[in-house]
Amino acid sequence: MTAPTPAPKPPECPPAPEGMGNMLIDGAHIVVPRTFTVMQACTQAEKEIPHFCYHESLSVDGNCRMCLVEVVGAPKPVASCHWPVAEGMKVNTQSQITIEARKGTMELLLANHPLDCPICDQGGECGLQDQAVAYGSDRSHYGEMKRAVDDKEIGSKIKTVMTRCIHCTRCIRFATEVAGVEEFGATGRGESMQVGTYVEHALQSELAGNMIDLCPVGALTSKPYAYTARPWELKRAASIDTLDATGAPVFVDTRAGQVMRVLPQENDAINEEWLTDTARFSYDALSLNRLTTPLIKGQPASWPEAFAAVKKLLAKAEGNLGVVLGDMASAETALSVRDFAAQLGAKVAALPTGRATELPYTLALPFKDFDKVEAVLLLGCNPRREAPLLNVRLRRGALKRGLKVYSCGAVADLTYRHTHLGDTVAALENFQADKPLHVIVGAQAMGRPDAAALLAIAAKLGTVHVLESSCGRITAQALEATQVSADETLKGWKMGKLKLLWLHGDDTLTAEEMKVGEGALVYVGTHHSAAAKLAEVCLPAAAWAEEAGLYMNAEARVQATYAATQPPLQAKESWKIYRALTEELGAPLPWNTLGQVREALALRAPAFAPANLNKPQAVPLAIPKAAGKVLPKKFTEAIPAFYLRSTYLQQSDWMQKMQAEVGTAQINGPGRKVA
Amino acid sequence: MTKGGKYNVTKLSPDQLCFPNLAGQGDWGIKGYQSRGGYEGLKELLTTPPAAHIQKLKDSALRGRGGAGFPTGMKWSFMPQPTPEKPLSKPSYLVCNADEGEPGTCKDRDILRFDPHTLVEGMVVGCYCLNAKVGYIYVRGEYYDESSRLVQAIEEARKAGFVGKNILGTGVDVEIHVHLGAGAYICGEETALLESLEGKKGQPRLKPPFPAGYGLYGCPTTINNVETIAQAAVILKKPLEWWTRHGRPNNHGTKIFSISGSVNKPCNVEAPMSITLRALIDDYCGGVIGGWDNLQAVIPGGSSTPMLNAEQAGRVLMDFDALKAEGTGLGTAAVVVMNKQVDLLRVMTRIAAFYKHESCGQCTPCREGVGWVYRLMERLSHGEGTIDELDQLQALTKKIEGRTICAFADGAMWPVQGTIKHFRGLFEERIRAGESR
Repeated sequence: MTAPTPAPKPPECPPAPEGMGNMLIDGAHIVVPRTFTVMQACTQAEKEIPHFCYHESLSVDGNCRMCLVEVVGAPKPVASCHWPVAEGMKVNTQSQITIEARKGTMELLLANHPLDCPICDQGGECGLQDQAVAYGSDRSHYGEMKRAVDDKEIGSKIKTVMTRCIHCTRCIRFATEVAGVEEFGATGRGESMQVGTYVEHALQSELAGNMIDLCPVGALTSKPYAYTARPWELKRAASIDTLDATGAPVFVDTRAGQVMRVLPQENDAINEEWLTDTARFSYDALSLNRLTTPLIKGQPASWPEAFAAVKKLLAKAEGNLGVVLGDMASAETALSVRDFAAQLGAKVAALPTGRATELPYTLALPFKDFDKVEAVLLLGCNPRREAPLLNVRLRRGALKRGLKVYSCGAVADLTYRHTHLGDTVAALENFQADKPLHVIVGAQAMGRPDAAALLAIAAKLGTVHVLESSCGRITAQALEATQVSADETLKGWKMGKLKLLWLHGDDTLTAEEMKVGEGALVYVGTHHSAAAKLAEVCLPAAAWAEEAGLYMNAEARVQATYAATQPPLQAKESWKIYRALTEELGAPLPWNTLGQVREALALRAPAFAPANLNKPQAVPLAIPKAAGKVLPKKFTEAIPAFYLRSTYLQQSDWMQKMQAEVGTAQINGPGRKVA
Repeated sequence: MTKGGKYNVTKLSPDQLCFPNLAGQGDWGIKGYQSRGGYEGLKELLTTPPAAHIQKLKDSALRGRGGAGFPTGMKWSFMPQPTPEKPLSKPSYLVCNADEGEPGTCKDRDILRFDPHTLVEGMVVGCYCLNAKVGYIYVRGEYYDESSRLVQAIEEARKAGFVGKNILGTGVDVEIHVHLGAGAYICGEETALLESLEGKKGQPRLKPPFPAGYGLYGCPTTINNVETIAQAAVILKKPLEWWTRHGRPNNHGTKIFSISGSVNKPCNVEAPMSITLRALIDDYCGGVIGGWDNLQAVIPGGSSTPMLNAEQAGRVLMDFDALKAEGTGLGTAAVVVMNKQVDLLRVMTRIAAFYKHESCGQCTPCREGVGWVYRLMERLSHGEGTIDELDQLQALTKKIEGRTICAFADGAMWPVQGTIKHFRGLFEERIRAGESR
């Protein structure tokens, strides 16, 4: 509590500047924009206003009545979340009227709340708990029977205990406004009002998990996390979601070395405060089907034995080896793999087959600037699958400020109105936008052999943006770890030119593609994936949450992750594996600590220098001029199974369940009409 | 009382009434309506500038008949008027609230079924005054038959050229649509009505913004009760004195009273404002069953107004200001009379049950509170409870009243507060009897 400053009398107040207003909050004078609500003004004056239904990113509903404050002169306390400020308004946030109003509302909120905090997963991080302690009474007058509400079965993401619901409708507003999937609503009225899907079904939104964060009580909690941990037992590490190109900042919460949950961090420039469900719920893959010890021909071995076997294979290959980098590699890993390959005279392939190298790989604008663009063409891009959080921005633009969205690609339900021009490039022939156009080229286009020609077409229409499939792919390209295309490596492998295929991570080559060669496979990775099963030698590496790393996202922003836990058993951080292996081979990579790896990184690519972290970097988008011809081919959905789009996700039981729930309906959406 | 006395015996003659066919004795159709003077002078109304009409309404002191008693002229003046420099950027709407749900009230129903053309003409004039080309009439779902008559009346008027394009050659276009609700009391709250009309869940909106700025489909909208709209047209046609000779200042005119309960002849009647309650009951309804001395209490304006005890009922005038001074309100002027044979606490419990059933469930105090109040009332009215709980009930109503988005919770709490205020003794008696059982 700060000492109250004496209230200036109105004549002493200097007239507020244009568009601003003078206010007295608890006697302290402040000047606020006239567009503010009382709650915003109180926040500026550092006065806490308790609330449940109000949320910055959602529309104002004003139904919880917890934010009531006394406005001098008003006949009754007003809901500060929607009440506009006025010149000379006096607000008392600590007066008897305000305190009584809060106490009364809290008593009513708790009247039918089950108060089952000891068995509630929200316990310890519950808005209702906190505010009841701060603003409520220590006992209730309620002596009647409490209401009980049937729980709703809404899929494997969210566990519902609807008796705890306080009807703030945040989840409804999120589903309707942000996720764009109008699945949630309230049925019944008065005491019988129930929040749910009406006809029970699994939620179809790829952002549904955010409702768990939004729910201020324990009505909607995480199903995978249910009854596994208490918030006060958890250790928190900052990290990012590397599974798509957004690179959303997350917190990884662990207990005794096990990852218990993943939550979004707030960052207005990147994810705002949302997280995709694949990032949120796939953490069980970290403890399932892991490689925990080196394997030689499938049999457990020690690291020295494994290194000896690798050495033998490398000697046998006599420099005829192909090196393939997967989609989840950090900058440290990519650098290590690249330098390791260089020592052996090999080139690294880090993009899936069908993908040309040396094409642009980032957006031309930071995510935030997509809130300002006026027209977007999605060329072979389904942002709802490829970068759901970018799709949230596009949706907001389309709904709120008349952003025109055109698409040329496979038909998709983007959750907002857009003009579908066609599913071949021919549809673009006579296309002209009346506003400056931003063309986002996505996986459907970049995965085609004529990607360069498509980019050239895009460049003629407007500013070109390329949306990659993961942060790892962008990082690898930023570090020039894509010296050769996977197709060429595969060709050499098939023809027997390459005697050894060195795989780091997955998803660049499929198991079928690997099987075409005769030589030996070495796999460095995290899971017993298809590649691991084919490999002669497997070296267990740390997964994303187990090692510190740098990753570049689609807006060319480099972010650091911290190790939330240790790699399991014998598994090691990737850069350490290559450092040790090269020493075994006689020419150790020139670093001994993570710090030294990062110094080397900064020299190689300035975007990774410490001073440039967390800022979108300017990456030149070199659009090829002589681009070749466009193939007369239809675009097809690049991510038919959103929850199982990478090997890592396929390891997760929860992802398997969630994909099964949406089934094939997700491919084209439930038949929303596109304009 | 002395002032009110002069209205005691006056029963109004047909030419003094806004709704001469309120009892349904004549033809409800357009012929009957025209024979009673309907649609006469409409052309003149539609050629006079709207500002003059609105000024006349302000002078007439017509106050909203839907319950809140807001001055109609002032409400209409909030609507944007086009100027040659600044034409309107959005359409305006007039919405008629015919979602008559207040227990005890049945005045709009009789207008709709016996004199629907008064409303149609009112809508035409109202739309003209408010620059609305489209008017909506939101009729409660239970009034299916009444809405059918209304639709027929609109069609008759359209055929006769009183509704539609270029009415009577004046260049005024007015289209009227009838929408049937689904039987929710809360949809009588004006912003919930708009939500319902837009096809959404009927829940009141936050105010501000007010409907005059941001109403139906985000456009300027005025919402008025059936009786208000119908009377507005009559006022504008007649000389001002025709209206102001009834009632005290700021409460002028006539009003339909719906009297029910323990009276010999329950009825719906158009009477002058500021009539004494006693005259209303004695002259129009044949008195209280068992005589005036057998009167226990009167709810003066629909279930959400606090009740009057017999002593108050003997002296009060039936107008907005007089009833406000008694701590209650005129509301919809639905007078519910209870004599001493009525179990008053059970009546009030039933009313509490009604509000529990009709709360929309949006705001916390109302959603959680009205059920709690009902359950306490249920027990206390059966003598199951303690004096402490009676005090709690009073405190609880204060935690709900004035803390919500709309006035529903206020309307649900006032009758309870009124009961405790006047009949606390009854509760205590019953609690003591219950304790000794």
